[in-house]
Amino acid sequence: MPRRAFSALLLLSLAACLGDRASRAPAGADGGTLVIAVPGDANILLPPVANQLAAHVTERLFPRLAELKLDLNTVDDSGFTPVLARSWEHRDSTTIVFHLDPRARWQDGVPITAADVVYTFELYRDPLTESPYRVNLDPIVSVTRLDSLTVAFAFRRWYPEQLYDATHHLLVMPRHLLDSIPHERLASSAFARDPVGAGPFRFAHWEPGTEIAVEADTGWFLGRPHLARIVWRTMPDVSASVSALLAGEADAMEFVPPPDEIERARKAPDLTLVPYPSPYLGGLIFNLRRPLFAGRELRRALAMAIDRETIVRSILGAYGEAPVGAATRMQWIAAGPVRQLPWDTAGAARLLDSLGWRRGADGVRQKAGRRLEFTVITPTTSRIRQGVAVLLQDQLRKAGAVIRIQPLELTVFDRRSHDGDFDALMFSRTLDPSPANLVQFWGSASVGGDNIGAYRSPAFDSLLAAAAAAATRAAAQPLWRAVLERLNDDAPAVFIYSPRNNAAIHQRFQHVTIRPDSWLATVATWSVAPDRRLPRDR
Amino acid sequence: MARFAFRRLAAALLTVALVVSITFVLAHLAPGEPMLADAERFHVDPARVARVRAEFGLDRPLATQYAMYLGNAIRGNLGESFTMRRPAVALLLERFPHTALLAGAALLIAFAAGIAVALVQATRPGSWTDALLSGATLAFHSTPTFWLGLILLVVCAQWLGWLPVGGMTTPVEHQAMGAMGRMLDVGRHLVLPALTLALVQTAEIARYQRGALLDALGSEFVRAARAKGLAERAVLVRHALRSALAPVVTLAGMSVPALLAGSVLVESVFGWPGMGRLTRDAIVSRDYNLILAAAVASAVLVALGNLVADLAAHALDPRTTL
Repeated sequence: MPRRAFSALLLLSLAACLGDRASRAPAGADGGTLVIAVPGDANILLPPVANQLAAHVTERLFPRLAELKLDLNTVDDSGFTPVLARSWEHRDSTTIVFHLDPRARWQDGVPITAADVVYTFELYRDPLTESPYRVNLDPIVSVTRLDSLTVAFAFRRWYPEQLYDATHHLLVMPRHLLDSIPHERLASSAFARDPVGAGPFRFAHWEPGTEIAVEADTGWFLGRPHLARIVWRTMPDVSASVSALLAGEADAMEFVPPPDEIERARKAPDLTLVPYPSPYLGGLIFNLRRPLFAGRELRRALAMAIDRETIVRSILGAYGEAPVGAATRMQWIAAGPVRQLPWDTAGAARLLDSLGWRRGADGVRQKAGRRLEFTVITPTTSRIRQGVAVLLQDQLRKAGAVIRIQPLELTVFDRRSHDGDFDALMFSRTLDPSPANLVQFWGSASVGGDNIGAYRSPAFDSLLAAAAAAATRAAAQPLWRAVLERLNDDAPAVFIYSPRNNAAIHQRFQHVTIRPDSWLATVATWSVAPDRRLPRDR
Repeated sequence: MARFAFRRLAAALLTVALVVSITFVLAHLAPGEPMLADAERFHVDPARVARVRAEFGLDRPLATQYAMYLGNAIRGNLGESFTMRRPAVALLLERFPHTALLAGAALLIAFAAGIAVALVQATRPGSWTDALLSGATLAFHSTPTFWLGLILLVVCAQWLGWLPVGGMTTPVEHQAMGAMGRMLDVGRHLVLPALTLALVQTAEIARYQRGALLDALGSEFVRAARAKGLAERAVLVRHALRSALAPVVTLAGMSVPALLAGSVLVESVFGWPGMGRLTRDAIVSRDYNLILAAAVASAVLVALGNLVADLAAHALDPRTTL
């Protein structure tokens, strides 16, 4: 089956599985414990400053105004399901008014009001909170309480992802418990280790370095989750995590690394591997500050000399694919055909010849006494990136280019990439459902920030602006395709691989669906059949 | 005795001060930045980085930072973790009992096994049994801790299902157990990580103990005991072993650094929530305050370990000088 058709089918089947929560599980189906093996510990259980694991926990404890549906359509209002907001309307082109559900309560019994939403916005936006998500809220001018259950979001300008920005980045927090604490001290407050939320689960306990547990809020206003509890068990070693799954000590892992660990997990009769589109994208970024890479044609020639399919097959086996560009299959903008530079070694050689890069006696191309040689930095923590770099070295050598691979400890790698101190680097990005991260990573305004290769193109910026302003998904799709194609044409980077994620989940769990950007987003609908329960499920 | 205590205390303080100073310089000179630890996932706001640097004093000259750190440390304030926003001392104290339990159990197993192996070897010097035990313990000693842990985990936990794979307690069920059940539960989780740490140490202890036993068995007081008609077992255990234990006990103190270093890897493999893992995470994220607090704690533990070993050796053999 072609990969795209497979992905579409997967998403459709996932969407079909979502259905109505209350009608899915039979009577008596409530109960069960999901033990998830995770590689690290949470830092702080406070949504604005939560690390990756802490975010998995806080997203179960604190609700959003609305949630993205499984197809991750960030543009249309139809892509969202009401949660804390019972409904919303666009009062004018720059204002969305949300009506809160009057049934919603904090887990200490206090009603959730518009004041909580206003407080939450101010908390995220305050520089003293030091939230890395703050930048996502830049388009929002203000959040105003209209009455106790009505709140208005005012935007700087009209754009189609207003609803996404207003809902996706904010987990609503309890003002009555937090407003006496200065924002800069919230992260070290007792609340950040023993939070009171309003989501489908309530905080149970946190044993640092060991586990975090949440339990079902049986009185949740949208209906209790079927599972009784979720436990995140810290297992820093990946092989040990898979062993814990095989031994039945853990029930699930978000991402089983390919290919060896997947093969181990595949052999376990009690485990199901659930594939889902990946938010991860990896490849090679050229530093355009370097004179060598300032010219577009050399970058294109190098990109054409790279056989991405072979690299993906060698490193990830069947568990990866060559992406269409600077987007992954998780994002709706990556659906459909996108023009890419072909793998064409003869074409690459002709282009290099035409640029004056001639092969020397040792096979390495030279121009005006300079060898076609550069250094690629890669973090020592990523076996995938190191493996890809080695294969790149071999392929580019055949094209007459020499790359020196410099493995660096992760923080050193981050420092040098942030400072622009590299020729080229092996990057890996975790993308959002929204295509807005194309602006963040490739827009001219982001040079000096997240656009680490310093790619600048007024034409690209214009395309970005046009795509971001399209009113509907149908109208935006061709414009975003043009954005991706422009980036492929200019080749500031070579987008080499995107892993196909596989979550491992014990077979006793039913109604499992996965939203690719947040794999536990639908966990409240998961359940365990009463006749398959283990002692820890009771 | 008082003079001894004063001398050792002064030496311990000097050791801690040196360790802190060297760690401070190395940690700050190492490239990397605490605020960029998650740079590939999050947008890096330069203003935020500058603010955090100012808040923690990282924008000041290194000498000033060092002076400030020492001043605070003398007052018992080892600073706050950058990543977890809690006092570094509180974080370490939370984990210390777990590491102490793991290292203590490993030390007990290592000494029990090492002495037992040495007793067998010393009674059959040059035999096949002696050679076989030497080879086996040396093989464990030469095995990387990380790899040994994984092998034990796969065989004993995954394949045979005898013991838990990792963590310190059984999720959910531990909460429902009584006091004895909880202790046993922790004990079951302790076996594999403690055994991993211990097996690496056993060879060293057995080797020292074997040599000391052979020396003792050839000494005059042993010949005298035998001449009195004592059974060989009594000669070996009551006379030779008692005399041969003193030099080996000093190994206990010297084992503390190795156990702390080994715990970094073992705690990661088995998900044991101890100081070693916390320190590893702190180093990876360049959490300077936590790194330094861990260095202080390690230095104090090593100094204490040596002190206890000296006192134990003196108790076993009063002829040794303090």
